[in-house]
Amino acid sequence: MTAETMFYWSLAATALGLVVIGIWGVLTRKNILRIALAFTLADTGVNLILVWSGFLPNRAAPIIDSSVTTVVDPLPQALVLTSIVIGVAVAALFVVVGVLASRKSGSADVRRMKELRW
Amino acid sequence: MIRTIVGLVIVLALSAIVISSVSDYSVPSELIGAGLNYTEQGVDDTGSVNLVTAVVVAYRGLDTLGEVVVLFSASTAVVLILTLIPIGANPTPPSSIVAFTAGILPGAIVLFGIYVITHGHLSPGGGFPGGAVVASAFLLVMLGSNTIPGKTKFLTSIESLAGLTFGLLGFWGMLTLGQFLNNLVLPAGSPGRILSAGIIPLISLAIGAKVASELSGVFASYRKAGGEE
Repeated sequence: MTAETMFYWSLAATALGLVVIGIWGVLTRKNILRIALAFTLADTGVNLILVWSGFLPNRAAPIIDSSVTTVVDPLPQALVLTSIVIGVAVAALFVVVGVLASRKSGSADVRRMKELRW
Repeated sequence: MIRTIVGLVIVLALSAIVISSVSDYSVPSELIGAGLNYTEQGVDDTGSVNLVTAVVVAYRGLDTLGEVVVLFSASTAVVLILTLIPIGANPTPPSSIVAFTAGILPGAIVLFGIYVITHGHLSPGGGFPGGAVVASAFLLVMLGSNTIPGKTKFLTSIESLAGLTFGLLGFWGMLTLGQFLNNLVLPAGSPGRILSAGIIPLISLAIGAKVASELSGVFASYRKAGGEE
């Protein structure tokens, strides 16, 4: 296994690790702000998976120059740019709804938020 | 305890599924499909050296317009929900380090943000990251001051103007070349120059102004609702 292949697979492992930590945090944490933080972590992991899917070893960033001949796939990177912005918007909304819910129930603990029960 | 165990089981099952699905996956060595097409034709089609910007603004410009709409609706919802929370009486005063930094750095941060916005077609960057950088300077100023921000009408009007510019640039392409958001209503120029790549720099400016004012508005409404009740 060459260094480039190892980098390739370690990128995938990091991305999966971020998603796993994020989902685990969403499932087990009780403070709503920590849940928001874990959600953002999972979001970052998904973005990294998308970038990784367009990554090719031994190639340059997709900025064409006289010295650059082979580049990685620009399409997933463009999609991730979109995804990051949507992620920021969702996180901002998540935090605001969390603050509103914690003001109503008097605590940031999700177990006390009766409105979220069904 | 049960929560932890259930969480662990779900997470392990998820990683097992993902790992088993990539087990027969080998490292790719060649580009295929749309990525190959964009790489070969991108510079000729759009005049943009940065292919990511070419895809975001030129090839998939309509998606970017939709993305701007999503960001707009999210920021509107944030401001709307925060009006339900009473305005904080006295925001937490900044530490002396933050107050001192907020007096020095914002100018340089805004300058860097403008550089990132205007060079989106030449180097990594563009409207979204540059706008976020400019908004971070606003955030620093806000954190370094002791007062609650007042009305944000100025930001709202910049935001509306930028959104309108994006839409009008799209209709310009529709009127002259028969295609919404056609990039080449302005000449592509020689790739690598600052004045090249059709309307990509203009759209980057519009997106940058919109993102910067939108995020600043969100930060301002966060600040208003913060502090003591």
